[in-house]
Order: sequence, then C-alpha cells, then structure tokens
Amino acid sequence: MSTPKKRNFQIEAFKHRVVVDPKYAEKTWKILEHAIREIYNHNASGLSFEELYRNAYNMVLHKFGDKLYTGLVTTMTMHLKEISKTIEAAQGGLFLEELNRKWEDHNKALQMIRDILMYMDRTFIPSTHKTPVHDLGLHLWRDNIIHSKKIQTRLLNTLLELVQRERTGEVINRGLMRNITKMLMDLGSSVYQEDFEKLFLEVSANFYSVESQQFIESCDCGDYLKKAERRLNEEVDRVSHYLDAKSLTKITNVVEKEMIANHMLRLVHMENSGLVKMLVDDKYEDLGRMYTLFRRVPDGLSTIRDVMTSHIRETGKQLVTDPERLKDPVDFVQRLLDEKDKHDKIISSAFNNDKTFQNGLNSAFEFFINLNPRSPEFISLFVDDKLRKGLKGVSEEDVEVVLDKVMMLFRYLQEKDVFEKYYKQHLAKRLLSGKTVSDDAERSLIVKLKTECGYQFTSKLEGMFTDMKTSHDTMQGFYASQGGETTADTPTLAVQVLTTGSWPTQSSSTCNLPAEIMGVCEKFRAYYLGTHTGRRLSWQTNMGSADLKATFGKAQKHELNVSTYQMCVLMLFNNADRLSYKEIEQATEIPSSDLKRCLQSLACVKGRNVLRKEPMSKDIGENDAFYFNDKFTSKFYKVKIGTVVAQKESEPEKLETRQRVEEDRKPQIEAAIVRIMKSRRVLDHNNIVAEVTKQLQSRFLPNPVVIKKRIESLIEREFLERDKVDRKTYRYLA
Amino acid sequence: MLSNKKSWTVDSELDGIDLTPEDFNCSVPLKKVPTGDIFSASRAGDVERVEYLIETGVNVNERDKWDSVALYYACLAGHLDVARMLLENGAICSEHTFDGDRCHYSALNLKVRKLLKAFEARPPPLLPLQSSLRDTFLSCRANQLHLEQHLVQPLGPSQSDGSNHSYFPPDVVFFVHGRPIEAHRIILSARSPFFKKNFETIWRDRREVRLAREKLSYPALYSLFHFFYSDRLEIAVDDMEDLVRICKVCKCEELQRVLEKELVHQRYADYKALRDIDNSQKRFILQGQSLPENDRLPAALHQILQTSLAKSNLKQDVGSGVDALISGIETIQLIEYETDLADVCIRVGERIFRCHQVILASRSEYFKARLSRMTNFLEGKDGLPGNTLPVLQEHDLSTEALEKMIEYMYTDCLKDIDPDQAEEMFDAASRYLLFPLKRAVADVLLPQLEMVSPAELCHWLTLSELYGILKIREYCLDLIACNFETFADTREFRAMLLTLPPPSGDSSLRTTLPSAPGAGLNTDQGNLLDDLREKWLEAEAAELDKRDESAALFDKRLEMLMTIAERECTDDDLDGV
Repeated sequence: MSTPKKRNFQIEAFKHRVVVDPKYAEKTWKILEHAIREIYNHNASGLSFEELYRNAYNMVLHKFGDKLYTGLVTTMTMHLKEISKTIEAAQGGLFLEELNRKWEDHNKALQMIRDILMYMDRTFIPSTHKTPVHDLGLHLWRDNIIHSKKIQTRLLNTLLELVQRERTGEVINRGLMRNITKMLMDLGSSVYQEDFEKLFLEVSANFYSVESQQFIESCDCGDYLKKAERRLNEEVDRVSHYLDAKSLTKITNVVEKEMIANHMLRLVHMENSGLVKMLVDDKYEDLGRMYTLFRRVPDGLSTIRDVMTSHIRETGKQLVTDPERLKDPVDFVQRLLDEKDKHDKIISSAFNNDKTFQNGLNSAFEFFINLNPRSPEFISLFVDDKLRKGLKGVSEEDVEVVLDKVMMLFRYLQEKDVFEKYYKQHLAKRLLSGKTVSDDAERSLIVKLKTECGYQFTSKLEGMFTDMKTSHDTMQGFYASQGGETTADTPTLAVQVLTTGSWPTQSSSTCNLPAEIMGVCEKFRAYYLGTHTGRRLSWQTNMGSADLKATFGKAQKHELNVSTYQMCVLMLFNNADRLSYKEIEQATEIPSSDLKRCLQSLACVKGRNVLRKEPMSKDIGENDAFYFNDKFTSKFYKVKIGTVVAQKESEPEKLETRQRVEEDRKPQIEAAIVRIMKSRRVLDHNNIVAEVTKQLQSRFLPNPVVIKKRIESLIEREFLERDKVDRKTYRYLA
Repeated sequence: MLSNKKSWTVDSELDGIDLTPEDFNCSVPLKKVPTGDIFSASRAGDVERVEYLIETGVNVNERDKWDSVALYYACLAGHLDVARMLLENGAICSEHTFDGDRCHYSALNLKVRKLLKAFEARPPPLLPLQSSLRDTFLSCRANQLHLEQHLVQPLGPSQSDGSNHSYFPPDVVFFVHGRPIEAHRIILSARSPFFKKNFETIWRDRREVRLAREKLSYPALYSLFHFFYSDRLEIAVDDMEDLVRICKVCKCEELQRVLEKELVHQRYADYKALRDIDNSQKRFILQGQSLPENDRLPAALHQILQTSLAKSNLKQDVGSGVDALISGIETIQLIEYETDLADVCIRVGERIFRCHQVILASRSEYFKARLSRMTNFLEGKDGLPGNTLPVLQEHDLSTEALEKMIEYMYTDCLKDIDPDQAEEMFDAASRYLLFPLKRAVADVLLPQLEMVSPAELCHWLTLSELYGILKIREYCLDLIACNFETFADTREFRAMLLTLPPPSGDSSLRTTLPSAPGAGLNTDQGNLLDDLREKWLEAEAAELDKRDESAALFDKRLEMLMTIAERECTDDDLDGV
C-alpha cells in the first residue's frame, strides 16, 4: 500500500509546478514573448534555449498550445508592423537594401523561434491543422510587409524602375535584385507572380512596344533584327541573374510578341532591306538572324517562307518567260541551276536546312519550270551539251555533281515523258555520231533516271546502248568473215544495227547510195541476214555519216567528215564537175527538204564550201547549178561539214514531237484506266480522273479532257461500260 | 487436377521472369488524368499524376467506394511503374492482407506478380536507432549524391522528405580516388578498431582523409560506412571481394566472416548458373540480425556510452572541487579525448554526461536544434572553466531519467525501468521529441499495470492522455470499461471525470470507418469519454438496435457520477477550510 501513495505524491509534485499557479500560462508566455522580442532585437545570446524550449513545451503539454500559438501570431505581427515602419522610412535607394536586410533578419529570427517552439510545431500544430511556424512567419511577412499599402506599390515600382534603368544601359545591383525576387518566390509563387511578374510583363510589353516602334522607324531590317536579338538576349540574361526561371518563357514571349510578331510583315516587306533584298544579296547572317528570331513567334517562319517562295516564283517566272533566254537553252538551264544553288545555300546556311523551306523552294521551282513548255527539251539539250563537250577533262565527281543537279531539275518537270522523248533523240544523235564524251557519264545518268522513274522509263534508252555494243561486235564479225579483203579502194563500212522501237526513227526516206557503197552494203546485208534469220534490215540514210578523202586543186588533200546525204551528193562529183539541182535530185532521190539543207551546207557555208553554186545566193533554188570548188582551202586536214540543223527544234518539228508525245500518252492513260478499273470494278468519273492523274504523275500530268476521250474509247472497245442508272459511273467489263 | 492447379499457383513460374529497367518505362500511359484521384490515375497509368498525388500526401492505402486500393488498379491494368511507385511509398502488398491478396490475384501478368513478391520480401523497416543514424548518414551531401547516382534500389519514404532536417554536419570526409564520403568519427570508431586507432593518432586533427590505395573501391567503402550507420549492408556482388579486403583492414571480423562465407556461396552459384542469362547486377543484402549481438550497432554504441559514462563519473568528482584542480582537469581532458571522442557535455544538476553530438542530433530534433543554435543563444557558456567541450544545461530532469534516456538514445534499449520513473520518462520522451522512447517505456510499464489499484489506473490514464501514449490509454480504457462499476465507486475516478472535457455526444463519430491499414499513427486523439463510452458499449451494451438507448443510459450515469464528484470536491474544500 505504501508504493501507490508514494506515487501519488510524486504526481502531485509533478503537476504542482504548473497547475497550482493559475497565472502560470500568462507568466510563461511573458517569458517567451520577451524572448521573441529579444531575438528580433539581436539579443538572443542572453537567452537560454533550454529554458525557452522547456517553457514552450510545458505550455503545450498543459493544453495552452492555443494561447501560445495566438500569442506567437500577435507578437510576430506586432514586430513585423514595426519593421514595416522602419522599411517605409528608408529613403530612396536604401529602401530595397533595408527590406533585404530586414528580410534576412526575419528569416534568422524565424528559424530561432521555430526551434524554440519545436514541440508545438511537431505535436500541437499537426493535430490542430494550423500553419507550421516557419510558414506562418512567411505568411505574416507577406501580409504585413509585402502587402502593406505603403510598401507594396513602392516595392513594385522600385523593382520595375531598376529593370527599366538596366534596360537603358545603367548598371544596377543585381545581387540585391536577386535577393528580393528570391524573397518573393520564397513567399510562394503566387506572391511572385501577383506582386511582381504580372506587372513586370505589362511594363516590359509597353517598353518594347514603344522601342520597337522607334527602331522600325529609324532602322533598316537588318539593324532592327540585330537590336531585337540583343534585347532578347538581355532578357534571357536578366532571368538567369535575378528572376525566377519560370519567368523565362513569359518575358521572352513578351519580347517576341512586341519586337517581332507585331512587326513581322513590315520587317519582311521593308523596302531596300527586307527579306527579298537579303535574298538577292545573299545576306546569310541577316537571314539567319531573321530565321532564329521569327522561329520564336507563331506564323513567323511561314511568313518568311511565303515571301521567299513568292520571290523565287517571281524571279523564276521572269527567267523562264524571258524570250531572250529562250535563245540559248544551255544558258537557260545553267541559270536555273544557279538560281537553285543560290537558294539551297541560303537555306542551308541561314535557314537551318529547314525542311519546310526546302519544300517551299521545290514547289516554287516546280511551279515556274513548268510554266515554260519547252523546259523538258532545254534540260535535255543541256545534258546533251554537257555530254558532248561540256564535261571534257572534268573529274568523275564533278560529272556526278552536274548530273545530280540535272536530275534535280528533272524532278520538277511535270511532263517527264516529253523529256524522255527529247532525251532519246539527243542520245541517239550522240551515240550514232560517236560524240559522247564519257560512256560512264551516260550510263550513270540513265541509272539515275531509272531510280527516279523506274525501269520502264529507261528500258529503251538502255536498249540503245545494247544496240551500239552488238553492232560493234557484228562489225567485227563481218570484217572477219570478209577475211581482210578490204583494200584501200573499197569504202570501209560501219553499220549500227538499231532495234526498231528503241530508237527515235523518223519516217525512213531512202536515197540512192553510190554504187561503191551499195556493194559493201549488200555484202553486209548478206552477212547479217546469214547469221540472223528472220530479220529485216532497212537503211537509215538520214542518220549516217561518212569520211571522204578529197583532192582539190594544187593537190590539196583533205578528209571531209559529212553526213550520208552529203556523201551521196559529193560522190556524184567524182564523175562530173557541174550538176544541176535537178540532176542531183534525180540521181540521189534524197527528199527535197533534206537535199536543200545538205546542199546549203556544202555550198553556202564559208570555209566549208567544197561546192560552188550558181547563182551565188544564200538559198537553194530548183534551178541552181553546182560545181566542184577547186579553190577550196582549209588550214586543217580534217574538215567537218555540218548539216545546217537547228540545234533547237524548228516550229514544225516541235509540233511533231508534241504530237508524238501526245500519241504515246494515249496508251499509257488507257493502261492506267484499265489498271484502276480492274481493281475497283466500279468508279465514278471524277475519281477515275483523280486516280489516273495520281498514277501518271511521275511521268506527266494528263489532261482531263484526254482522259475522258480515252475512257470513251475504252467504252467503245467494251473494256468499260457506263452504269445504267448513274451515267457518271463506269463499270469494268471482261 | 491437383497437379494442374499447383502449376497455377506455384511460384516457380516467377523464377524465370526478370524485371528489367525497361519494364518500368515501357508502359505508355494510356491517357492522362490531370484531375483524377489516386484510383483513376493508377488505373490509367498516369505516373506523373500519381507522383503528384503522393507528394501531396495522399494515403496510398486508402480504399475507394468499391473498397479497392490504388495498387489493386495498377496491378489489374499492369502498370508496373505506377505499382512500383505505390509500393515504394508504402502500399501494402502482403498476401496475408485483404488488399495485398487482391493485388496478387488480380495482377495482369507475371511481371506484376514478381514485382509484388519483390516488395513483399523487402526487409523489415529499420529500428529507430539504425534508421535515424542512416538518415543522418544519407543526408550528408556527398553521400546523398552517390545514392542518387548509383542506387536503383527503392528508397524508403523517409528519404524523400527527411533529407533536409535530418542533416547533421559530418566531422570527417574520406576521399577515395577523389570521390568523397562524409562520416562522423564516433560512428566509425565505434564499429571498427582500425578507425578508432587512426582517429586517436594520425587522423586526429584532420577533417579530410585521402585514401588512394589502388585496390580500395569506393562502392565497397561506401557500403561499409552505410553498414556502420544502419546495420544493414547492401552491396553489389561484384564489390564483395573488395569489401572483404576492407573488412580485414578495418578489423570487422564478424562481418568479414559472413561475407567470405557468402562469397563461397556466390562462387558456387556462379558455377552452377550460366552467367549470360542473368546479367542484372546482383546485390547482396545483409541484416544486422545475422551478426552476433556484440557486433551490432547498439552494442557498439553501448560500449562507447560506457566509456563516456565512466569518464563522466570521473568528471563529476573533479567537478565538485572545481576551483582547486584546474590544471588537473586539463591533463585529464587530454587523456579523455583520446578514449571516448565525446564532443559535448550534458549537465543536470551537478552531474555531467559526456556525449556525442551526432548521436544526440540524430535521435532528437531538440538536440539537433540546440546544438546548431549554440552560437545564437546563451549556451555552453556556463561550462566549467577550462573545459573545452560545450555544456548543455538541462533543468527539470532527474539525473536518473537523463541517464536512462541517453542509454536509450545510444542503444535503442531500455532496461529495468522503475514504474516510478516511467512518468518522468514519458515527460522526457515528449520534451526531447524522442517519440519511440514513449513506446519503449510503455512496453516496460504495461505488464506492471496488471496489478495496480483502480485509483492508480486513473492516474495512468490521465498521464497517457497527457503525453499521448496510445497503448497505455487503450489498456486503461479497456479495463475501466470492463469493470465500470468498480471504477464508478472509486473516488479518484469520479474526480478525474471532472478534469476531463465533457463527452461530445456526437453519435456520428461512433460509426467507426474501417481505418485503412498502414495509415500511420493517428495522432488526433479523440475525446477520452467518447472513447470510453464506445468501449463500454462494446462490452456491456444491448443488441445493435438498442445501442442508442444504452448510450443514453451511460451518459446519464456519467452525469450522475460527476455531480457526486462535484459534491465531494466541495466537501473537500470545506474540509480543508
């Protein structure tokens, strides 16, 4: 029984020191209140942590937590009110420093108070859902200092003024600024945003709107962009030094909007310095700056792109429609290539190789190249020129570069089949006259075409090469069979056996070959038909050439390089000195237009006039007479007598080519229609047109009218029929 | 049939499945639920949302209106990443619980089950001593950095929030090939004779120690230090040989023995398994329990404490004759420094305890604040003249209680508490924010309450209410509810009724919601009399539908008792007069 008593006594003793004194709470709180005051007055070194903590602990333990908490709030509020007075009293520039110093003091004091009241912080506050001491301190600071009427606007104005001063070039105390903004952030992101950021952004917007207006009045585009870029960098710098990182996008958005987005069109279209001018002058640096700045704002890049595209279209259109340019196809294509190179370089060095820009460039080229219907021909001619002579002595890599560029232009063409037609013609000429510079280059181009357009596109071109090779073998075989019978007297024959269809043959107009030649030809025919049965050979005299040895007066010997027709004419003069036009025509049976052209080249070209003509006029008349020109001289042993052939096609030829192209397209369109209908069975007209266009796009753009005609033709031939109900719909038969 | 069923449930299926890091990022969130609760976010697999919700402190074990927990949804939908996040934040997944079992059988695929298994097998949480020292170790900046970079292992939730306020400055930094590990001398000395010797001699005045031995591996040393603080070793298998070497140098013989044994096992396992198949980094985890008691952290610190106490006693003798023996103190001081490494003294009354700052600070926030505030307040200035150590003066505390408390702080154990002391210990535990100590004292006290008188029980109930000791409070309430009439006859009980706040009478509180498991300690204590009424109703009341009537009866009875008590009280006063 004695132990419980002892215990009871102990309990009494333990409770006594607290409960017995009714004023205990009041007294203890006075001690703590005094301590808080001392802490704020930097006098804490006279206080005992242990005693204060113990007092606070006992208060909380004996259910005076509420009193302690409310007491803390009132005391702290009171102190902060005093502090706010001293801050308000601070003069001018010292205001921020005073605020910063007080903030640091407050933070330090707050930590000490929190430690003293730790027991309350750990037990009383969570269970009563009150604000923890540290957060409470921040809230009170916010409410009593930052949101006090006299300080709030003054703080804001001071901060904004400092920023403004820095913008105008003054040096400000960035460390102080950072401390103050950090304080605002510590008080909660909403405080920073509401009390500073929002207005900061507004003021910045105003500032930049005014400034950009000034700049744009006084500067040209390049300078303006430089200034805008510098401003932007300054703002980024500012954020990194003394603002919240979250403000970065906000402030840059403001600058972008005010400095760039609002003036975008004006900048781009600025006269004498805008985008067009930069493009023309290849100002990579300015263009690059414009690109990086405009990229930041919505629609910025599309603005640049649109202007650039329309500029390229415009210049391109001028280029392709300029009648001057049409005179020289090679120069024409070279200019196109130069234009492309120029803009490629701009895109790569200033526009970051932006895909959309490349697409814009491509579409612009596609647009204007196809404005000129002769572009396919010219491009083919350009290739022809390059492969005939342009690439002589050029390294393989360079050849590839040129060919790649050509291919690029080729891609822009809508009428690829027209190009094919011309290319075939030009290739045939090159092959037959042996003018190709490099077989490798030829083949490489064909490979490129093949990868671009498929096997179909180049099969005939490849056939031409095969023909050349087999012909070579055939000729070797032929001479081997002759057993070296050829002597100096008999002419040497070189035959190229061309497969019908692969080559662009014109209506074969035969002529009477001289007897010597005839003999050799017959021998070859016999040999060839002997080795290959079931074939038919016909001579394409209009495509051949011949080397003649001729002796002129004063025993001058020359070797004349002429066409087959010219050879026939000249051979006649072996037996006569004078022949009239009629006689020649009778003897050779060359079509008159060809004959005239051939005689013109023999008689009328200065320096090449192996024949003399009566009368001495430029044109060939039916009644003219021709003499062997004894007085012909030339510095060279070998003389090439070209036919008067327009390199470009003449108008009728052009029409003819066009017609042939159109003819060729018909079966292709029909094939496409049948292919589509075979899989779809039923389709309406518009869809057929769309599908056909899509399928054939890689070769040419088919004309809807033509497609319609082809459909009708297919209906006639009972491949398709019209739907009985809906006349616009077709049905596949068979 | 039977064998068929077996193959379904047997875990051997899981053995073949490895959870690779890719598994956790492959699940593409099906949709974002920016305003969804934890349940919809878990179901949708919206990791960011779940992360946010957990940060805002949502209870991961909460149930929704369909009685399902968030982890259940994550497992059902197969969102490994979300499931893992929930598990790391303490979601319950044990197969023996309702929620955990549901997660297991609803798991979308075997990978999810493997994950659940992995967390089920997670080592039990550390004891308070180990866990607080571990927090101290990990909160040192350099150590934290290493952990973030190299450990994929899920961290305890204490890590995410505790990093700041568990920081206590280290007093020594080791650089291994230039990479720092921060530590506290006393811990290392306690655990390893090697460190103890060096700190007493060659490293005595150095704050930085650079170790550049070729073979010394940073991860191994880090793991060892971590072990020193927490009694838990976590190490990659590849680093184990390095660790064995280090143990040899540090003379951690028991640890070395265990590790060597394990290495032999490993070698054998490697020999058996084809290494190529499993290239995940294997980790070896060792619990302190697998070492003999003498090699564990509490024992080591106990030893340190013993030497310090011995010195303190010596000190006390000197302290009494302080003025005379100043020179004597100084010489003693020198010797002491070499033996106990104490860096702070606590003084109660005339007695001085030599202690170690890092341990005090790790265990008690009060001491941490006090030690870090020494320059700001009037502290350490009332020490003995000539004493180089700071002195913390404590009042309102008996030396015995302080001694017990220090013992607890060092060793996590409490021996032979006198029930007379218990009250003071409760007070100390609250005051020094040593909340686990309360539980420890309660555990010691509880058996002794079985034979106390009703009057005393009332006293303990008042105390437990005051200090928030739930265990005792619960026990007393149960006892009172069961023997209500006995107590009603006791005067002390009636007197106590007067000191308590009146019952709220709010019957809505009575419908006890199923409190979520693992919801954490509910610190909000209810009204004591309300709780008592609940208990009483449970023990005595009639059928369910009559409950309200019974409650009304009980309230009436209480009122009656209180009027009696009031009368007695006035009688007493009259008597007193």
